[in-house]
Amino acid sequence: MTVELLAQQLVNGVALGAVYALFAVGFALILARMGILNVAHGTFATWGVLASYWLITESGLGFWAAALLGILFAGLIGVTADLVAFGPLRKRNAGHYAPIIASIGIWICLLTLAEGFSGPSAVSYPADEVPSTPLEIGGLLVLPAHLMAVVALVVVVWGVHHLLNRTRFGSAVRAVSADARSAAIVGVNARTTLLVVAFLAAAIAGLAGVLAALADNNVSFNLGEGLLLKGFAAVVVGGYGDIRGAALCGVAIGVLEVLSSQYISSGFRDAITFGVLLAVLVVRPQGLFGERQLVRA
Amino acid sequence: MSTTAWITTLQFAGVNAIFALSIYASLWTGVLSLAPVFFGAVSAFTMGYLAGVFGFSPVVGLLIGLAVGAALGVVTAGLVLRLDSHYLAMATIAMVLIGRVLILNLPDYTGGAAGTLVPGELGTWVWLAVTLGLSAWVVARLAGSRFGLAADAVREDEAVAQTLAINPRRIQLVGFVISGALAGVAGVMQASFLQYIGPDTFYTHLGFVTLAAVVLGGAFHWAGPIVGAVVFTILPELLRQPMGEYDSLVTGILLVVIIIYVPRGLVDLRRLRLLRRGPRGADADGPGASTPAGTVPAGAEPEGVR
Repeated sequence: MTVELLAQQLVNGVALGAVYALFAVGFALILARMGILNVAHGTFATWGVLASYWLITESGLGFWAAALLGILFAGLIGVTADLVAFGPLRKRNAGHYAPIIASIGIWICLLTLAEGFSGPSAVSYPADEVPSTPLEIGGLLVLPAHLMAVVALVVVVWGVHHLLNRTRFGSAVRAVSADARSAAIVGVNARTTLLVVAFLAAAIAGLAGVLAALADNNVSFNLGEGLLLKGFAAVVVGGYGDIRGAALCGVAIGVLEVLSSQYISSGFRDAITFGVLLAVLVVRPQGLFGERQLVRA
Repeated sequence: MSTTAWITTLQFAGVNAIFALSIYASLWTGVLSLAPVFFGAVSAFTMGYLAGVFGFSPVVGLLIGLAVGAALGVVTAGLVLRLDSHYLAMATIAMVLIGRVLILNLPDYTGGAAGTLVPGELGTWVWLAVTLGLSAWVVARLAGSRFGLAADAVREDEAVAQTLAINPRRIQLVGFVISGALAGVAGVMQASFLQYIGPDTFYTHLGFVTLAAVVLGGAFHWAGPIVGAVVFTILPELLRQPMGEYDSLVTGILLVVIIIYVPRGLVDLRRLRLLRRGPRGADADGPGASTPAGTVPAGAEPEGVR
């Protein structure tokens, strides 16, 4: 075990974790602020990637423009899902499990469409269109995708945290997530607020998806599924009150994953990750950074 | 579909129905758990190993599956029942994921990525009918029992249940044990129908679809999961001809439509009763209306501790 290898793997782990963390931030937004355990969130990421891939290969757009449009497209799918399913359920006061079931329905639809659209085999972004030359920073190799993931994570976490805690819109979001009716009484437009949150969350998922596809050089219809599970894990362990907790745990999961496949066993990588997750939950049921909130007696 | 295809489909519907009953058993006590998929996997691979190496008969396998499932139910309940709802769901999903990794990495026992053949013929109609019938009978008998009423109470409002001297954790533990036993049986049945099990046989997809079947059928009556599982298994087969690879699209859309417009599922005694009573029956929804024993009022589920 050399120090260089360890450092390199740490870099790789942080980069991988940054993608998980990004996804977790979007997922946490929906889970904590709208109370929806959205199983379909991974397919939002997939569709962002597929859209950007299509734009690059079919309409000849550059990577950056295609990525941006793909991210916007993911956001629009998120809004559509909210308009079609979650909104009506909220209006009917459908309870705890109904949104989960609805999201399973959306998940099945989007996944089926994605598979039909992209075919079962994985492809990759055309090599000459995307930034792929590794950079050397202090003797360590860093892929541009890795660097982008870390930068994007920092920007998004800061932005979302700032938005939620320092702006008028953030107050509106928190008011609506605490009690939509009371928020409406004091003049918050709950509908618009929730739609903006849905857009943001799905767009962040799209961003995470594009970065994951870039880092793995892999565009496939089930790209979002892995992100979903890791992102969900990060949110749960982080305790879904705090975006920063979720992000930190996402990075930690990435590091744990890379280090455990390097030093323990790559076959047991996921088992170790989720074993640690289970252990954390058993010891600290409310997550590492979560606070127990009593909603009602 | 040909007759053979129909028979095969109906057999899978039957097995899925037992899985659905298993998820229903824990949902009954207010716990959303995908652990049955894990229980089913463990019992199926146990059965595969025992039948392959020692030549155990399928009947013994079924009993072992039941025991293994129930035992796992106890252990799991001990580990995860202190968690809050979303955390608990995640913990059980994590179990499913860990299960797949274990299957992949214990090739001596499970066949690894290639999976394993399961010798032993349980895949006859009689076995399926008897197993499903027994499972349904047990769950149906529980509905009016002390456990059933307590489970209803815990699901609707834990705090109120506690004031009625019900220990929610204990009820949920029983729910987990029933869930585990049913899942163990379903896993063994699944294995003997497929005659081959691999790492993807029992995975998140099975869990999500089964959960969907429970809610589609109705999570407030024991017949709901069975109806839901049958509908959910047959529908894609019927649609495969006209829709090709997009067959599951209809499943997804149906799921969203049903949860919005028929949120209590297809089997909903309360709605039937209201329909039979005619337009005036709508009054029964109002405040002060008496709720018949064994059913629970609709509406928002308790938020509980977040």
